[in-house]
Amino acid sequence: MDEDVLTTLKILIIGESGVGKSSLLLRFTDDTFDPELAATIGVDFKVKTISVDGNKAKLAIWDTAGQERFRTLTPSYYRGAQGVILVYDVTRRDTFVKLDNWLNELETYCTRNDIVNMLVGNKIDKENREVDRSEGLKFARKHSMLFIEASAKTCDGVQCAFEELVEKIIQTPGLWESENQNKGVKLSHREEGHGGGACGGYCSVL
Amino acid sequence: MAGDSEPESEVFELTDFTTASEWERFISRVEEVLNDWKLIGNSLGKPLEKGIYTSGTWEEKSDEILFADFKFSITHHYLVQESTDKEGNDEMLEDAIPQSMQDLLCMNNDFPPRAHCLVRWYGLREFVVIAPAANSDAVLSESKCNLLLSSVSIALGNTGCQVPLFVQIHHKWRRMYVGECQGPGVRTDFEMVHLRKVPNQYTHLSGLLDIFKSKIGCPLTPLPPVSITIRFTYVLQDWQQYFWPQQPPDIDALVGGEVGGLEFGKLPFGACEDPISELHLATTWPHLTEGIIVDNDVYSDLDPIQAPHWSVRVRKADNPQCLLGDFVTEFFKVCRRKESADEILGRSTFEEEGREITDITHALSKLTEPAPVPIHKLSVSNMVHTAKKKIRKHRGIEESPLNNDVLNTILLYLFPDAASEKPLDGTSSADNNPSSESEEYNLYNQFKSAPSDSLTYKLALCLCMINFYHGGLKGVAHLWQEFVLEMRFRWENNFLIPGLASGPPDLRCCLLHQKLQMLNCCIERKKARDEGRKTSTSNNVTNTYPGDAGKHGDQLGPDNLKDVDKEKGEVGKSWDSWSDSEEEFFECLSDTEELKGNGQESGKKGGLKEMANLKPEGRLHQHGKLTLLHNGEPLYIPVTQEPAPMTEDLLEEQSEVLAKLGTSAEGAHLRARMQSACLLSDMESFKAANPGCSLEDFVRWYSPRDYIEEEVIDEKGNTVLKGELSARMKIPSNMWVEAWETAKPIPARRQRRLFDDTREAEKVLHYLAIQKPADLARHLLPCVIHAAVLKVKEEENLENISSVKKIIKQIISHSSKVLHFPNPEDKKLEEIIHQITNVEALIARARSLKAKFGTEKCEQEEEKEDLERFVNCLLEQPEVVVAGAGRGHAGRIIHKLFVNAQRLTESSDEAATMSPPEEELKRMGSLEERRQNSVSDFPPPAGRELILRTTVPRPAPYSRALPQRMYSVLTKEDFRLAGAFSSDTSFF
Ligand SMILES: Nc1nc2c(ncn2[C@@H]2O[C@H](COP(=O)(O)OP(=O)(O)O)[C@@H](O)[C@H]2O)c(=O)[nH]1
Ligand SMILES: [Mg+2]
Repeated sequence: MDEDVLTTLKILIIGESGVGKSSLLLRFTDDTFDPELAATIGVDFKVKTISVDGNKAKLAIWDTAGQERFRTLTPSYYRGAQGVILVYDVTRRDTFVKLDNWLNELETYCTRNDIVNMLVGNKIDKENREVDRSEGLKFARKHSMLFIEASAKTCDGVQCAFEELVEKIIQTPGLWESENQNKGVKLSHREEGHGGGACGGYCSVL
Repeated sequence: MAGDSEPESEVFELTDFTTASEWERFISRVEEVLNDWKLIGNSLGKPLEKGIYTSGTWEEKSDEILFADFKFSITHHYLVQESTDKEGNDEMLEDAIPQSMQDLLCMNNDFPPRAHCLVRWYGLREFVVIAPAANSDAVLSESKCNLLLSSVSIALGNTGCQVPLFVQIHHKWRRMYVGECQGPGVRTDFEMVHLRKVPNQYTHLSGLLDIFKSKIGCPLTPLPPVSITIRFTYVLQDWQQYFWPQQPPDIDALVGGEVGGLEFGKLPFGACEDPISELHLATTWPHLTEGIIVDNDVYSDLDPIQAPHWSVRVRKADNPQCLLGDFVTEFFKVCRRKESADEILGRSTFEEEGREITDITHALSKLTEPAPVPIHKLSVSNMVHTAKKKIRKHRGIEESPLNNDVLNTILLYLFPDAASEKPLDGTSSADNNPSSESEEYNLYNQFKSAPSDSLTYKLALCLCMINFYHGGLKGVAHLWQEFVLEMRFRWENNFLIPGLASGPPDLRCCLLHQKLQMLNCCIERKKARDEGRKTSTSNNVTNTYPGDAGKHGDQLGPDNLKDVDKEKGEVGKSWDSWSDSEEEFFECLSDTEELKGNGQESGKKGGLKEMANLKPEGRLHQHGKLTLLHNGEPLYIPVTQEPAPMTEDLLEEQSEVLAKLGTSAEGAHLRARMQSACLLSDMESFKAANPGCSLEDFVRWYSPRDYIEEEVIDEKGNTVLKGELSARMKIPSNMWVEAWETAKPIPARRQRRLFDDTREAEKVLHYLAIQKPADLARHLLPCVIHAAVLKVKEEENLENISSVKKIIKQIISHSSKVLHFPNPEDKKLEEIIHQITNVEALIARARSLKAKFGTEKCEQEEEKEDLERFVNCLLEQPEVVVAGAGRGHAGRIIHKLFVNAQRLTESSDEAATMSPPEEELKRMGSLEERRQNSVSDFPPPAGRELILRTTVPRPAPYSRALPQRMYSVLTKEDFRLAGAFSSDTSFF
């Protein structure tokens, strides 16, 4: 069954608690939204195999809690991750403001420097938006990340976010092939709005 | 043969090759290859630029051909050139002579520093060679040689190929080639003479000119002028007055008595032998005409000092022995040893079972002074006494692979805190490294090694040193064993390990470093606990928190000392028992009052009201202005248990366990439950600190976004904040609610420990004890490579060689890639070490050259810069032109080097007494005087090369005038003449 799986990729979802990390993951793996989803304790773990450009990749996704006190545990899970999804809640500015802290942590604890980062602004289905799309975009560009807005509830952008991330990781051969010395494509090489991959112009690749 | 069947083939339109001979097949195969490579016809290239043979790129193409079952390789060598558009020139080319014939006369690339010998001999930019394939015999017999040569001739004629085609004959080492080049109506024969003994007339210009002329056999009188190019090469091997400064360290001197000479932590550097073995000076007269100079068997005008063109090359010693490279290589070899420490030391040292281990040695004994010892040390020296006895029992001093002085020096270097009078328990004050932000300091990050001021890094250097100088593998095993004992000693006696950043293990460092940090975490906690207990028993100080542990030292004021002193014996005992006891609580229950006051049972069933009556405990500080929802008391953040520190292997294990639970709902639930210990502990601490609190209060501190506040307007019309738990927190019996209901109000210090430091410390100590020298070397190799790179960098900084800078950068990026993967391949590691060694040799060469050319002594800034540039060029280029030849600054120095060497030779030959060198050099200015002395200035040339060129009609006076060339080289071992004689094949 796993025969044609190209590789197993370790992906980490981080961000403040309550921004919808677990919901995004549940949407991606089970395609459901569960309003009764319990708050994560420590770290949780899910697996999904996806196919991007004909390459099958098994994703081992670690979901983290996000509360200050649990955070002391999570740095360890940064180890060996090839991709990180950093989530904020577009309806809560404080979760956006805290992104800098998360990036700091990422920089401190990541064992590799060619890791692919994606910024996701979640809960776009809600009315009381506090963070503009352009702000998210600006932040992502500044830190050379992929960027997408999504809603775990309505499913918008979720699939695309994961696919785009995986595609990017696969394009960075050093990340999944220990033998390969190539540095892969620099994120900044692609132009904004060009999007690309599975979801046309929806994803902004910076 | 082929010709015979031609008329018939016209009739039958069928060519039958079935009867073709091997010879014919060979020729047609050669033709096929020439055709395949598109070497047919003349393709005039650009005129050759000066030096293009060196600066340009040479390529070759090869194929194999058979003569019967004899294998030949056929190779096309050519200078890569931009293609010129052939078409336009076609007509002009009709009767142009082949490019190669023209190249015979070109003077822009005589004596290329690096080229195929045929290029050097004939000045060709392109040629094809047929030579016996790698494993085939040489072509020796004359008949075979002739057969080959005529095959070549036929193939060239049949195809119209104008590229010279050579065949290699005789033994390979003789480099004998004969060949031919054909053009429309013209042909050049390439002939060669190779002799061991040189007939006298070939040793000078006039004799060679005679040969050349007779070979040409020119019918014209007078003969057109012959152009002469001469190069004499002088070899300098004697650098006598410049003793190579690098002496291999005297090991005996290091160990004998004077320990002060031992510098652990410093890496050796440099080559043990002069990495520059010879200097070759080529003095060239690029363009002489016959008659201008005289060079015969009795007299010569060819004074090297006068030569218009000088160039120099240096011969580098092949793989000079380099200290740093050897050092690292030897350490790397340890990685491959299979023996365990016990096997190496020949006895069982680590008896893990039993109590024996606890009171075994501590090698620092000798360093701790007995006199005014601070209180902590008393116990140390006690232990050391027994330990010493134990050691004697276990092994005779003389057996010990490491000499005591050496061992003590190392231990003092590794554990400087042992010698200082400061109390030993100070937190490891890492030497305030000013450059801790620098790229260099953070190299450990890339190499996954350890900071350069850390214990781990120092240990790596010491082991490296021990391995190299003091007992090899045995010494390594011994030092490691001492190190492990020291670790255990520190754990058991609450002495922090110095040279490690405090806090949880740094996952960016090597595993061994993490393990040591882990051990330090354990020591820190144990110490805090023990000291907390001590102070609370003696002083009745309660509420001591692990977070404040550092302050306990202060509390051990003079007043306390007495108490503690009294208890010393007891405490010592209780440590022993503690390490074995079922230690369950974060802090020992010393005060029975507390138990009564905060009955744990009461929390279980007690409602809010009851809890509100409890005495608050374990408060850290108030949480802003927040108050409890039910009773309006300030909300306090509790003192909590620190999360368990983890090393990367533990983490790996843990996440594996968590991942194994799978993705089912039950799995996820179990996973959460397994991780809820921390949550529960925090809830308990919170409850203890905030009597009368509710889950809402807890959530407002712990996960504020799960407490949703809304402004509502109350009955009186005022806006008030109304809050409630988030939907997910309200889910009945979710784990948070469950945990909250289970949580009892217990302050952190009385909770079950989340982190069992005793167990973890023992695990680390066991792990350390079972490391074989090879494991150790693998753990520490990144540190050693890190140190070696820093060393090379430091040394390069002194020399400032740009090419080396670039290589070092490459080594760093290469190493960080290799070292970041868990188990780097040996081959890749070897490659890194090899690169480091190469850089070391390069720097050593630069130093050697600088010393020889005295760049430092140079007073004039400008001259100095020129000289430095010249020296750098010598390192990077195969051959370097000496500006101003013998009269330039560098030239004068080279001259002096030769003069000095000559003087030494002659004085050792007990020749006539010489004038002092200075005087002699002064005289050099005077041409006349020097002429007489010139013989002794330079040794006889090691090589004499001559190129004679002319254009004359051959074979008849009315034939076309064509290029003729003869190259000759005379060395001590042999003599070679390589002639290219062209003749007109239409008019003769
Ligand atoms: N409207 C809306 N609510 C969401 C969305 N994603 C998550 N939520 C809600 O936000 C809360 C927190 O979600 P959760 O996935 O547990 O966040 P986490 O703490 O980051 O894992 C839950 O009540 C979810 O139902 C979304 O896209 N839209
Ligand atoms: Mg969650």
